[in-house]
Amino acid sequence: MLRLLGYLLMNGVATSKDYCPSLGDEAIGLPKLASNNCIGSECSKCSDICPTEAISVLDGGPNANLELDLGKCIGCAMCIRICPEKTFSSNASTETAAVNRKSLVLSTKALDIQAVNDIEGARSPFARSVACRVVSTGCSACDLELSAASNSIFDMERFGIQIVASPRFADVLLVTGPVPKAMHAALKSCYDAMAEPKRVVAVGTCAISGGLHGSGYAEANGISDLLPVDVYIPGCPPHPWSIIDGIRKVMR
Amino acid sequence: MNIDIIPIEAELRQDALLSWLNQPGKRLGLITSNDGGQIVTLLLDTADSAATIWESQMSDCKYSSLTPRITQAHWMERTMWDMFGLEPTHHPRLKHNLLHEPYEEKFYPLRKENDVVARSGHRQYHSLKVKGDGIYEIPVGPIHAGIIEPGHFHFSCVGEIIFNLEIRLGYVHRGIEKKLSEMNWQKQRFLVEAAASDSAAAYALAHAVALESCIDLVVPEKAQHLRSLALEIERVAMHIGDLAGLAADVGFLAISSSLGRLRGASLGLADLVSGNRFLKGFICPGGVIQDPDGNLSKLKAKAKNLQKELEPVVRYFLTNQVVLDRMENIGKVSERLAKDFGLVGVAGRASNQMYDVRHHFSAGVYPLLKPAIVLEKEGDVFCRAKVRANELVDSLAFIDMLLETMPCGSHSTNMPDALRANAVGLGIVEAHRGELIHLVFTDEQGNCKRYAIKDPSVNNWTGLAIAARNNLVSDFPLCNKSFSLSYSGHDL
Ligand code: SF4
Ligand code: SF4
Repeated sequence: MLRLLGYLLMNGVATSKDYCPSLGDEAIGLPKLASNNCIGSECSKCSDICPTEAISVLDGGPNANLELDLGKCIGCAMCIRICPEKTFSSNASTETAAVNRKSLVLSTKALDIQAVNDIEGARSPFARSVACRVVSTGCSACDLELSAASNSIFDMERFGIQIVASPRFADVLLVTGPVPKAMHAALKSCYDAMAEPKRVVAVGTCAISGGLHGSGYAEANGISDLLPVDVYIPGCPPHPWSIIDGIRKVMR
Repeated sequence: MNIDIIPIEAELRQDALLSWLNQPGKRLGLITSNDGGQIVTLLLDTADSAATIWESQMSDCKYSSLTPRITQAHWMERTMWDMFGLEPTHHPRLKHNLLHEPYEEKFYPLRKENDVVARSGHRQYHSLKVKGDGIYEIPVGPIHAGIIEPGHFHFSCVGEIIFNLEIRLGYVHRGIEKKLSEMNWQKQRFLVEAAASDSAAAYALAHAVALESCIDLVVPEKAQHLRSLALEIERVAMHIGDLAGLAADVGFLAISSSLGRLRGASLGLADLVSGNRFLKGFICPGGVIQDPDGNLSKLKAKAKNLQKELEPVVRYFLTNQVVLDRMENIGKVSERLAKDFGLVGVAGRASNQMYDVRHHFSAGVYPLLKPAIVLEKEGDVFCRAKVRANELVDSLAFIDMLLETMPCGSHSTNMPDALRANAVGLGIVEAHRGELIHLVFTDEQGNCKRYAIKDPSVNNWTGLAIAARNNLVSDFPLCNKSFSLSYSGHDL
């Protein structure tokens, strides 16, 4: 026991002192639009290679209008790799969550609007702390990142974010995964069991739009058609900091 | 790998399979179908690194179940009923595995001709009723208390003791196999990884090997090294995470938070190789997507450091008396049951099953280079923890060796636009949970017409049900963690 204590003391405080630091150099983040040099629909290499139809090249070039929907993007970086005109680059920011679905859609016509910090309206009833209930319906990566957000490095409890074991005393419903048909009823009843006021956060691309799984017989199209969503956290899976940032957005 | 396809009558499979399984080193890989018109039985010969497919044409949609004599077939036969409407007669517990009440009757997503006369009323799920004095039932899920994937556990208990555990899955069935058979191979790898992202590297590797074996493509040596590197990093990260989970469940928080921190360090290794904490998008058919050469020396130093930091934590954990008290003789699976149910991976090796895919089938640098097999005999929670801990040490040493011997040259080679027509591809990989199988069939145009996946959890879920029996309800979380199974990989 004493040796263990010694080990713990020797390792010191693991918890990160910065809030939402940028990703390291080697990490590939979600794409962002870096230029409006897109040569247009004759090329369309990016929209052809994108596995989730997140990119629409809307007209011919030069300086074509291109839209990138982060709510569909899984961050595979293929668009960054393939574009000859360097339209895309990796976004090192971890503050990627959005309050409006439409602000996840980036456009080469509005390159300066990349950051999706769009808080408006009344103050949140959960300014200081939130109790969150998690419903997992996906591939477990979002769940692992959510668990990581409460480990000693990220430690989201210090921001007032707590995971609870019942919807009855939860303020926020965190949903991961595309919610296939077999989970529709369970998700609805979990939401109904929560007391007002309550908020819903879609954690990860699957929860936002179904991601790779949408439009199949299993109706795994995300939560947008099932519940009112307050915050969208894109990524496949989102980084723990992005998750913390997203939950903090229901607290503001 | 050359795969022989042998026609055999469905009804003759039972005896043939029994005698196959009685020979040392021979295994049942997978039972499935292409489109409902046949039964495909994949047999593995680990001694010769060979695979054989028995194909049984079906004129009817009924066949006699293998389960009464070959217990490990039970889960796969249920899934085959769900997906293809092929109904095993005399199956002792026939019920749906993946498609439950929300789906309409007579819906068989992978069946080509919808000509089945479905048994009616059977979408309704009935758990096994245990009758007797003082028996009570605890239903749990599909939504669990913590941050875990969904599934339903139905315990029948006497006092505090679990008499029977029935596991109902299918809540995260997303129709992945069907989608994979409808998309071009270039995009498949992203969906394959998203099937069970905690095993993204293993899934991507099995996928790549399966497609490459369709066209007999040989990938460069460096790509093989990098693929194994990715797979071992994934194993290290997940084994650390699973040990952390076990520590949390025995209430040893100093260990679980230390391991949680070290799991973060192992994700940092993944970042250095692939730019992604889950190694997503790294392994692709033909090789790997990028050459992480510039990061490898940093990676080596970090891996060494991780090795050094892990050692004392794991030692404090597994020599602690309280930990031993909680874990020893809990959740036992005997060697015989492990063999009968075909348990794989950590759970199999903890019950003395001498099977590690890395020793038998080629993928990455295996089986040319491989770490030793880690075996334990007792099959309890503690053995499963020890297997993980020892494999962790071996994997980190193996990572060091891979970096030491990293070949020069290219990290990928070109894939043709189309796969070979009417071909079969097979990828078998030792994922961190055990044997993962991807089986691909192409059509006349060289498009993938059937993509079958067998996650290690398909074998091991029954192992958990066996392990939980006669244990305290309060020890179930520990049993569950010691298996650490995948819901999404099973449900697909
Ligand atoms: S974004 Fe790049 S790849 Fe896509 S159309 Fe424009 S130039 Fe081509
Ligand atoms: S990074 Fe996103 S937008 Fe780009 S190709 Fe991948 S999924 Fe599509």
